[in-house]
Amino acid sequence: MKGSVIWNLQRYSSLIVLSYVVYVMIFILSFEGEIGFFDWTKFFLSFQMRFLTSIVCVFILIHAFIGLWTVGTDYLTKRTLGFLSNPLSAMADLLRKAYLFLFVVLGLMYLTVILYIIWT
Amino acid sequence: MFGNKLHVSLYRYNPEEDQFPYMKKYTIDKPDRDIMVLDLLHLLKEEDQSISYRRSCREGVCGSDGMNINGKNGLACITPISSVLKKNKIELRPLPGLPVIRDLVVDMTEFYAQYEKIKPFLQNETTAPEQERLQSPEERDKLDGLYECILCACCSTSCPSFWWNPDKFVGPAALLQAYRFLADSRDLKTEERLNDLSDPFSVYRCHGIMNCVNVCPKGLNPNKAIGEIKSMLHKNKKDIIASDRI
Repeated sequence: MKGSVIWNLQRYSSLIVLSYVVYVMIFILSFEGEIGFFDWTKFFLSFQMRFLTSIVCVFILIHAFIGLWTVGTDYLTKRTLGFLSNPLSAMADLLRKAYLFLFVVLGLMYLTVILYIIWT
Repeated sequence: MFGNKLHVSLYRYNPEEDQFPYMKKYTIDKPDRDIMVLDLLHLLKEEDQSISYRRSCREGVCGSDGMNINGKNGLACITPISSVLKKNKIELRPLPGLPVIRDLVVDMTEFYAQYEKIKPFLQNETTAPEQERLQSPEERDKLDGLYECILCACCSTSCPSFWWNPDKFVGPAALLQAYRFLADSRDLKTEERLNDLSDPFSVYRCHGIMNCVNVCPKGLNPNKAIGEIKSMLHKNKKDIIASDRI
């Protein structure tokens, strides 16, 4: 993948998440009177809000994936782990793959659970 | 206030004798006048002949004596001790992130490999004119702040992204030179140069923390050049090819 695509994905995903937060804040701040449980659920259970929340969750996952991948390729390399110990450095590739696998699995689990909660 | 003695802590490592590097303390009389860090090293070398460091022009042109002086990279020959002294103490270490050959001498192979990668020469396959390839004053102005780099490696070795990935991230020094040729109106390989830099590591590992700008002994701004390269990478390819034809 090109660096510019990753760069754009990370920037635009953060803007989408920010827009979502601003949208929810506008709802809260512009609500007349005290927000009750039913007002809150009515807002979040509307189709457009469910759709928006689902999209935002996907973008949070993309944003987190790029950030964690960057951390992994910076700090879990033979060179970087070599500063700590040589045996650890020899296992760097394995450790990095395990780390990537872990957060991909956790990310997909998180997405599945969130989407299940939103749409059921 | 702190006496007339100068306390120098010097990074020492001789792979033939030492298992690990260590900091050796030297105490010398404080010179009557302000001297450069390189002169201080000369004074120490008179006392201890085994101290190793690189030096050549001793006037900030050759870039040989880049080192870490009290935590900040700089050229020893143009850094007055008065500007770095803290409570009469000075700590000298080799440039960070590169393998140490001995004492303050580092192996710069990885640094030069990145410089080689960006093809630091003019590429223009059109027939050369009789005298020289001309530029307008405006085109020439674009090269100011780019061509002055002396490749001392102070910037690249102060960059964490270069510490972690010196084989993949090109580093601020080489990227400044990459932009020097991208900005040159006489160079016609803009598209190829940008393609070579378009992967996720070469340019995009720069997160703009500006350590490079902070330490550059020539006052250059590699961070700005990297920003310009990123802008070019985001531009339409057709615009870039067209700019080569002009």
